[in-house]
Amino acid sequence: MGYTIPIGPYHPSLEEPIHAKLYTEGEVIKDAEVFIGYNHRGIEKLATERNFIQTLTLVERVCGICSHSHPFTYAMAIENIAQMEVPKRGQYIRVIMAELERLHSHYLWIGLACHLIGYDSLFMYVWDAREKVMDILEEISGNRVNYGMVIIGGSRRDINDEMRRKVLKMLDDLNEPHNRMKEIFLNDKTAALRTKGVGVLPKDVAERMGTIGPHARASGIRVDVRKDAPYSCYDEFDFDIPVLEDGDVWARVVVRVLEIEESVKIIRQALENLPEGPINLGNKLPKVPAGEFTARHEAPRGQVIYYVVTDGGQTNYRISIHVPTFKTAPTVPYMLKNNTVADAGLIIASIDPCFSCLDR
Amino acid sequence: MQEFKSIEIKKEEIVPLAQRMREKGHRLVMIHGYVDKEGKHVVNYQYEVGNCIESYKVVGEDTLPSISEIYDVAAAWPEEELYELMGVKFEGLKMRGRLFLPDTMLEGQGHIIVTPLEELRKKTLKEGE
Repeated sequence: MGYTIPIGPYHPSLEEPIHAKLYTEGEVIKDAEVFIGYNHRGIEKLATERNFIQTLTLVERVCGICSHSHPFTYAMAIENIAQMEVPKRGQYIRVIMAELERLHSHYLWIGLACHLIGYDSLFMYVWDAREKVMDILEEISGNRVNYGMVIIGGSRRDINDEMRRKVLKMLDDLNEPHNRMKEIFLNDKTAALRTKGVGVLPKDVAERMGTIGPHARASGIRVDVRKDAPYSCYDEFDFDIPVLEDGDVWARVVVRVLEIEESVKIIRQALENLPEGPINLGNKLPKVPAGEFTARHEAPRGQVIYYVVTDGGQTNYRISIHVPTFKTAPTVPYMLKNNTVADAGLIIASIDPCFSCLDR
Repeated sequence: MQEFKSIEIKKEEIVPLAQRMREKGHRLVMIHGYVDKEGKHVVNYQYEVGNCIESYKVVGEDTLPSISEIYDVAAAWPEEELYELMGVKFEGLKMRGRLFLPDTMLEGQGHIIVTPLEELRKKTLKEGE
């Protein structure tokens, strides 16, 4: 007999609210649907009532995990409309923050994946490594989240020599735990049994559905804005885009493990070659002419898009925010099919969803 | 550096354009919408062409053809969003009800949350007897 099983919007295996309907036969999911909107806060509308500096503070609160990605992307859109050139040192600091954010976001989800497959000792081990990154983010910015590091025209705070040494030491200290967790995911039977062949998204389906970020790269699609449409100073760094072909939960974990290594490469290069000079163009409210621009940034979960329309006034006429989860959540029903109800929580979580971002 | 190009098109050009973009392998980045100062709907179809976002703008239309047959859910979700938030209708879009906050959340069978309270009460009473 078939059952319709609702999961969420509030459910122990979901970190944030989303609603999924599973159409099952016995233990097997035959079809599924997902619905969103449980975190909608009207941020796009609020932004039309605020000036460009106030909007930075607002959009930083779209998401607690990628809270650097949002103001970074918004600032790029405004700077493009206003034809402002961000000083090199300011660009480097933005990139360092963006890659540190990728480290802690990836460790967060890798840890959650461990927790969801019942491997709680590994979960704690991974989150212990994540804390090293969180501590350094707090030292640089003063906050664990909502760093307030971006202003229109540059970065708010500098990274001095002492801080540079601290970040480099933190990266050295990460080596051992990182290699250990990589070893476990590549070779451990328990982790493989619970993640290999689960929630598969084949390459052709991923392409058809237009998915992005590590989710796409785990399904064999080489897509990354940092390489496809370089911005800020990303074209000055040497790094690779890891791509796996398996398309299952295991590949989504491993691709993130490998991406962390590439982010570490970028941070090291940025810290070692940090240019001299100013970090911003000052903190006055910028004069922004009427115009429009779509800025893109490769956030930890994939491409963040800010379409901004200005009318020559001091507020945004329209901002349209679209985040990776808007492109990855639609793939969930496909991935759930023919898997068991017991794996549903893990599969939904495997897109590394951020419903706070998705709903805005 | 990232570039941006805005091009105004007619409603009739939406589907042929999407087909051409699909054949060339360009990704549909997003369909954005807003209401301009004259109260007209503005819908932007944004494609990724190299490092440039080509934004094809349709102004003043309340009903548009869906391109979800061409771009699958990458088009269907933004179209559903534009319908629910702005009231733009998309002909050919298979709507599943509401994408944002569905009214039918508790429809279903066999789960405690979707079992009517009356039936639960009867069941509990029987078990208690």
